[in-house]
Amino acid sequence: MSSFRLSAPAYCGLFLLLTLLLIALLAPVLVPYSPSERFTPFALPSTAHLLGCDDIGHDILTQLILASRVSLLVGITTAIASAGLGATIGILAGYCRGYTAHFLNSLIDIVLLIPMLPLMITLAAYLGPSLGNIIAIIGLLSWCSTARVVKARVLQLRDLPFVEALQGLGIPEYQIILKHIVPNVAEVIAAKFILSVAYAMLSESALSFLGLGDPLTISWGTILYYAFHRGGFVNDLWYWYLPPGLCIAAATLGFTLLGFYLEQMARNNKLKALTEDSAHAA
Amino acid sequence: MYSNLLLGKVVRLLITLFIILTINFALPRLMPGDPAVMLLGQDAAVITGSDFTELKNKYGLNKTLGQQYLNYWQALAQGDLGYSYHYRQAVTQTLKQHLGWTLALLIPVVVLSSLLAIVFGTIAGWKAGSRLDSTITCSSLLMYSLPQFLIAMLLLKVFAFELRLFPLGGLASGNTDSAVSYFLDTAWHLVLPVLALTVSATSSKLLVLRNSVAKERHENYIIYATAKGLSTCRILAVHLLRNACLPLLSLIALNIGFIVSGALVVELVFSISGMGTLIYEAAIYRDYPLLQACFLILTVFVVLANTLADLVYGIVDPRISLSH
Repeated sequence: MSSFRLSAPAYCGLFLLLTLLLIALLAPVLVPYSPSERFTPFALPSTAHLLGCDDIGHDILTQLILASRVSLLVGITTAIASAGLGATIGILAGYCRGYTAHFLNSLIDIVLLIPMLPLMITLAAYLGPSLGNIIAIIGLLSWCSTARVVKARVLQLRDLPFVEALQGLGIPEYQIILKHIVPNVAEVIAAKFILSVAYAMLSESALSFLGLGDPLTISWGTILYYAFHRGGFVNDLWYWYLPPGLCIAAATLGFTLLGFYLEQMARNNKLKALTEDSAHAA
Repeated sequence: MYSNLLLGKVVRLLITLFIILTINFALPRLMPGDPAVMLLGQDAAVITGSDFTELKNKYGLNKTLGQQYLNYWQALAQGDLGYSYHYRQAVTQTLKQHLGWTLALLIPVVVLSSLLAIVFGTIAGWKAGSRLDSTITCSSLLMYSLPQFLIAMLLLKVFAFELRLFPLGGLASGNTDSAVSYFLDTAWHLVLPVLALTVSATSSKLLVLRNSVAKERHENYIIYATAKGLSTCRILAVHLLRNACLPLLSLIALNIGFIVSGALVVELVFSISGMGTLIYEAAIYRDYPLLQACFLILTVFVVLANTLADLVYGIVDPRISLSH
């Protein structure tokens, strides 16, 4: 850790994310018009409307800026839920033995097999379109990859001498998990959390693109849905369908680049730490 | 030895299928609102009064949950997945008309994306740290972050709208006279959708393979093979890939679920009347029986594909049959 240097891709990711976060935070100041204001439908891009207007005369740039808040909010809240759930299940599956471990491992194996989008579509159709439902659905269904990685790491940790020593001293299990296991997998969880945001944003955009998004709030996926289903794509109005698509791509790319970097760092650190531990043990 | 392993896999498959089918039974009954509406679909909800009670009786919705569960298994055993009120035909009938097209889209994608991932993943992993590696890795990260429908829309825009090389969508031009020209015509229609899906399906596999090749290339057997004077091609193809391809096999199988999800969205962009279009319409019209059947079929397909991969894994890897 002595030479803490970000790689070039990680810098790109961080830059993309900070820009988007800044836009989302400053959205009320940045928007040129109010989201309910109406102008000429299908207006071409001009100085007044940089990205033109949609089919009912809403300024597309305004929608795009306001949507950044919804998309990022959905992505981050969902990732908190899914990474939290994944970390809990992963740690328990890795640390416990016997029936609990067996049950959790089978759960991970089975959920991993279910193709997620069809299940998400089914649930979203049953529960009805609302932002809360979408967050809950994606969050509850996307914990699997986090759980798998965390479990693998905890399995390595569990048999290290320091954990055995703690167990030998009679420290309660929950205390071992919270104080000694969790800090050691924190890096992995952080990397998976960042990657979960990317996954959540992609899933949300796919659901919205299928018309299962919240009709009352506008996310990048919803703009794309309208652009695709109300003639924006067929008439080749690039300024309508391209910007929201690129925004989704920029956000997911940002999170992916940063997440992959963190994951790689966690991998290297952990390997070093583990070999040091075993060296001490010897 | 291998038959024991086989038995274990089959038992696991059966348990998984049992759980998925039970989830499928429980879902509509757990949802808020009248389970009758959830089971019959929104189009049936306009029926009211005595007709609705009659319908409920017909589908056994007034019975106890245990009885309903038994009936559910009976119906499944007879291949009855319910009646779609939107399409006005049995759900199985509707599925039959759509599943084939999705498979026609999926199979080339699985094969192509696996081959591409193997080739480029191996190159990037072998040259890890070089400029070639960072080019391949960065571009596949970029492909990985693009939403699949955006890739599909961009391909459609460039190759169909602008260059007019491929059709705008659909599956057939309708003016074909022989079986061969029909096949070629359909293949021509499938090029862009397959390409769109391949791009994103390749990238996730490529990154994993790159990492395992990058780790494997420092192993002793590789150094020995190099010292023997074997060509790089031979080392890669004969020695390294053989070890790296085992995790790849389960990766390819797990990736099928991801491809299925992607296919749903891509089909919509290219107006292919496969499962994606079906599940989209079922969701829009709240045709719950159809929606559930789609989920069921796709999940069973993915589970079967994974079990198949597991079995192949057992055949390919001699260590598995020895150690068990």
